[in-house]
Amino acid sequence: MSVPTDHLLALAAALFALGVLGFLVRKNVIIVLCSIELMLNAANLSFLAASRHWSQSTLAGQGDPSAGPIFAIFVILVAAAEAAVGLALVIALYRLKQSVALDGIAELRG
Amino acid sequence: MAETLFYVLGALCVVFAIGVVRARMPLFSVLNLLGTFFCLAGIYLLAGFPFLAATQLLVYAGAIMVLFLFVIMLLNLGDAAELEKHAGLSLSGRRLFVACSSAALLGLVGLGAAEMSTAFDARTLPAEHALDDLEHLAALLFSRYMLPFEAASLLLLATMVAVIVLAKRQREQARDTSAASAPAESQRKENGVLR
Repeated sequence: MSVPTDHLLALAAALFALGVLGFLVRKNVIIVLCSIELMLNAANLSFLAASRHWSQSTLAGQGDPSAGPIFAIFVILVAAAEAAVGLALVIALYRLKQSVALDGIAELRG
Repeated sequence: MAETLFYVLGALCVVFAIGVVRARMPLFSVLNLLGTFFCLAGIYLLAGFPFLAATQLLVYAGAIMVLFLFVIMLLNLGDAAELEKHAGLSLSGRRLFVACSSAALLGLVGLGAAEMSTAFDARTLPAEHALDDLEHLAALLFSRYMLPFEAASLLLLATMVAVIVLAKRQREQARDTSAASAPAESQRKENGVLR
């Protein structure tokens, strides 16, 4: 595939921007968590785009192309942990408030 | 061919991502997210990361999204009125639509896989053309990235403990409120402290 790295990064940026939008605008906790997953995936895509960029023959030896997939694996791991804790919190929140809307939550008086 | 496939998958990815943000119900948001992950897996394949694509499908689409769906089903977050609005399409029509769209999505990812296997034909090219060669990654994980690897195991342990604590406390509360007797008094006091 001879797609320039810029286009991969542009796709990652678009996904990340949509994730930020959802995170800031939506009030349903589950959709907010989905938006976070979207942002993590955008980060993954940019890691892999960078890895692919550094592995191209003209740039060989300048960067470490294997760091990209390694970081992507760690990001997936962190995403799994984050989803587990986040969803456990959602369940605890639902038992407490009978709703998952973020509007009515001020228990921590932030 | 691979380029057009990338742009098609990328456009689909953005469309699904917009669906994630715009969806009225969390269920549709999660299903759109699933579509995004499938498209991303196809893109990873095209970019030369077959292992990451498989991980994306197995861990993200297979495990994390199922966790999301579990919670949505468990909490019964569906909005009955909202569901009525979507009932315009008949059941068989909806089934046909879902079947067609999932088949199309799978076909696209499969095309990506076919494209990759022709581009990185094992007989003509050495194995290093997959950018995430498993042997190389595993050797790196246990040498240069040993510390993050161990930290990740600690993180997973902490997550497991945290999730069990979060779920267990709730179960004790539920039991005490259902009992509604003398022990409930002390539990309430305890809850007051906890809050």
